[in-house]
Amino acid sequence: MEDMTKKTVEDSTPILELDDLYVHYRSEGNIIKAVNGVSLKLGRRETIGLVGETGAGKTTTALAVMQLLPDATARIDRGDILYNGESLLRKSKGEMRAIRGALISMIFQDPMTALNPIKTVGAQIMESLTIHNYEHKSKAELEARVDELLELVGIKAIRRNEYPHQFSGGMKQRVLIAVALACQPQVLIADEPTTALDVTIQAQVLALIEELKEKLGTSVIMITHDLGIVAQTCDKVAVMYAGEIIEDGSVEDIFLGEHHHPYTVGLFNSIPKLDDESNRLHPIDGLMPDPANLPPGCPFSPRCHQCMEICTREHPAITYQKGSHRIKCHLFAGGEG
Amino acid sequence: MSNNREENKMQKEVHIPEMESLDEINLDEIPKMTRGSQLKAVWKRFCRNRLAVVGLVIFSIILLTAIFAGVFVPYEKALEQNIAIRNQTSSAEHWLGTDNYGRDIFFRIIHGARYSLLTGMGAVAVGIICGGILGALAGFRGGLLDTIIMRCTDTLLCIPFMLLVLALVAALGTSLTNVLIALMLAMLPTYARVIRSAVLTVVDADYIEASRSCGAKIWRIIFKHVIPNAVGPIIVQATMTVGTMIIWAAGISFLGMGIQPPTPEWGAMLSEGKNFITTTPHLVLYPGLAIAITAFSLNLMGDGLRDALDPRLKD
Amino acid sequence: MIKYVIKRILIIIPMLVVVMFIIYSIMEMTPGEPARLILGTNASQEAVDQLTIELGYDRPFLVRYADYVVNAFTGDFGESWQTGRSVFQEVLIRFPTTIKLAVFAMALAVLIGIPLGILSAVKQYSVFDGVGTTFAMVMASVPSFWLAMMLIILFSVKLRLLPSFGTGSFAHYILPAVSMSCAEIAVLLRFTRTTMVEEIRQDYVRTARAKGQKENKVVFGHALPNALLPVITVTGTEFCGMLGGVVTIETVFSINGVGMLIYNSILQKDVPMVMGCAIFLTASVMLMMLVIDIVYAFIDPRIKARYTRAAKGGKASE
Repeated sequence: MEDMTKKTVEDSTPILELDDLYVHYRSEGNIIKAVNGVSLKLGRRETIGLVGETGAGKTTTALAVMQLLPDATARIDRGDILYNGESLLRKSKGEMRAIRGALISMIFQDPMTALNPIKTVGAQIMESLTIHNYEHKSKAELEARVDELLELVGIKAIRRNEYPHQFSGGMKQRVLIAVALACQPQVLIADEPTTALDVTIQAQVLALIEELKEKLGTSVIMITHDLGIVAQTCDKVAVMYAGEIIEDGSVEDIFLGEHHHPYTVGLFNSIPKLDDESNRLHPIDGLMPDPANLPPGCPFSPRCHQCMEICTREHPAITYQKGSHRIKCHLFAGGEG
Repeated sequence: MSNNREENKMQKEVHIPEMESLDEINLDEIPKMTRGSQLKAVWKRFCRNRLAVVGLVIFSIILLTAIFAGVFVPYEKALEQNIAIRNQTSSAEHWLGTDNYGRDIFFRIIHGARYSLLTGMGAVAVGIICGGILGALAGFRGGLLDTIIMRCTDTLLCIPFMLLVLALVAALGTSLTNVLIALMLAMLPTYARVIRSAVLTVVDADYIEASRSCGAKIWRIIFKHVIPNAVGPIIVQATMTVGTMIIWAAGISFLGMGIQPPTPEWGAMLSEGKNFITTTPHLVLYPGLAIAITAFSLNLMGDGLRDALDPRLKD
Repeated sequence: MIKYVIKRILIIIPMLVVVMFIIYSIMEMTPGEPARLILGTNASQEAVDQLTIELGYDRPFLVRYADYVVNAFTGDFGESWQTGRSVFQEVLIRFPTTIKLAVFAMALAVLIGIPLGILSAVKQYSVFDGVGTTFAMVMASVPSFWLAMMLIILFSVKLRLLPSFGTGSFAHYILPAVSMSCAEIAVLLRFTRTTMVEEIRQDYVRTARAKGQKENKVVFGHALPNALLPVITVTGTEFCGMLGGVVTIETVFSINGVGMLIYNSILQKDVPMVMGCAIFLTASVMLMMLVIDIVYAFIDPRIKARYTRAAKGGKASE
């Protein structure tokens, strides 16, 4: 356990790898298929954008990595999660605790509720440090580190004794980032870190994450439904739909590639464009399928304008591959679509 | 090491309820249910709670007994005195024995169910109506009226419940009606608050704003939106309080300030029996059990109803 | 902060006036002339009229009420119609007994109900949880005065372990306190369980887990303190209910407390005594609530900050 805490070996194995991961929730006799065969590779110092609508299984994927899925209902049915080549699923609870917060950290979606309302922000950052204080630093050293972290995320250190309700949403998000970064994790999972925030503060928070990534060499999984954020921060993109990655590749592949999954096309079309004269948005019709009752073929087929007969019958495998760019869609079966 | 194992155990046992696991699922996707199917869903959830069904069955039996008490045993039988067989314990002839006047305790309990259920349910019903009007007024009108009504209910809540009831009964005299009035008054603040908060949540909702701006009448809003929204918490609250009211009504009679002997009211029976607890404990055992079982069945039902009406509240 | 405390104390005064009005009006509804009640049916009409004037009952209701309020704030609650003794003195003598009983019962309820509620929540859906919640439901359904009699039958009559009446020693308080605490155990158990279950679901608990915190530190260090805050308030309101229940319990156990006094006074139609007792008990409930509010304000940083910040001149943060 000890030797893992500070491993900075630079090698080519991805820092985090999801291999064909399935997470299902069981609730009142229903099986909710939240994540269905997700594979991802996160390289060192790399940022991957995990994009998709609400309910696509992004947060569940993140919680699976953190091993924070509600164990009464959720189960990882298949697949593996590898950190530095080691399976996280085979770790004991104690070992997992040593990883959580120290090597892999997560910033949660809603900064308003993610801090304990009756503890000072300083104490909440301190907690991260004391849990993983393997070098037995003195209290004064840790206190100094708390101040340093607060300054790092742009909060004056004198505010350490204030309570969360004394901070605005953006400031709370900064505190949460400080909590997550306290132990200089190798992997940071940011679950929609900016959705709850104003646009101006969004930009500040993103810039902060970017800056910290540079300083600390952290790899980031950026969960978002905002393609603008992806373009701004990510190296690679994975588009999720109904618990699957239906298209992935480098940012260039996704934004500039010649072929796309119809869903990705839909996502791009639903962003307002300045040069579009019609002045109308083009949202994707319909809703995400009920994860308790997925269609037998391609999960996107009920909403797809280019839906073919095969789409409703057969689940598509990866049919298009060009460099790092991969798409799961029957349109591209047999070479070029 | 052992400490570690303990933690592991803890972790296994701290279950995170399903609602969290569903946080990724868009609620709008669930097709809108009609009222009928909603009721059916509530009933289905209620039935899944076995204890609640047990409560419903017990309560139904007690309710039917109360309604048809006269069919089983004529009322006179419950009052029939016979000194020759006084203070007998259970026998084939007198299932629960006889009291100090030789009256059959079982018959008295059967007839007593009428009074207990009547006071309990009556007080709650009147309490809901009066408290509802006050709460709705406070919630809708707001402003000064709201402040006054709420301050008054706050103050009423500070007076210990039993004291208020006793003072009222002492002043008004002992009768079933007065016990009812007293209990109702004591409950008023609670219901006024429940209904006010229900009104406030609805009033704040956008669709009320919308229907108001469309010129909907206030009563239309109350009947179409407020009542359907408030009905859940009120039913739950009511089911639970009927049980409490039965206990309190029995308490008042027990103190000799409610329904008077020889009326076979459960509290009055306890009051009559309390002087003989050293010699004939069964005089107080059975009426008390009757109260406890009735209240228990109502509590079970209320619990089941709460879970069934609002699955999110399920704790 | 001091401002807050003073403000809360000042609110009590109008509330007490309203309480007095409610109780005064209720007692006003007592049928019959007060002087006739005191002197009995055989007294002459002249004597009755004379006493009516002496008591001030010839004056209008509101004047008498105002008079009563003014006197009450100076500690004069009038004299008993039965014994002629000062109501204030009589209540004061019995007050410690009642408070001792109520505090003992409440302590039992807190010490049993809250831990069981926490356990039920932490081990939600387990056998323990099932047993705990069912136990609470049973406790909530049992009338305290009946339970009191059952306890007397078992522990005093059959086992001869504990006294069944009076207040001589600590042992005398055990049965009354236990029977009074049962319903409160039920309330506290269920309420603690609910708030605790809610807190365990909160996002900040997940944040603590994400830090790698040990599970029992997550539950007891983060969720529990938050869950206990509302429990404090409920403990206060339950104390209020308990002071009402004291009437039946003191009657069953023949304890010479305020509850017993009010019971006897009602039977004897001793209006000043009933009013005095009721007001005294209500005032102590209000004081209890005040203490809880203040404790709350000191513990909960959100409330505390609202007042300290107001004192600093409303310095807004960021």
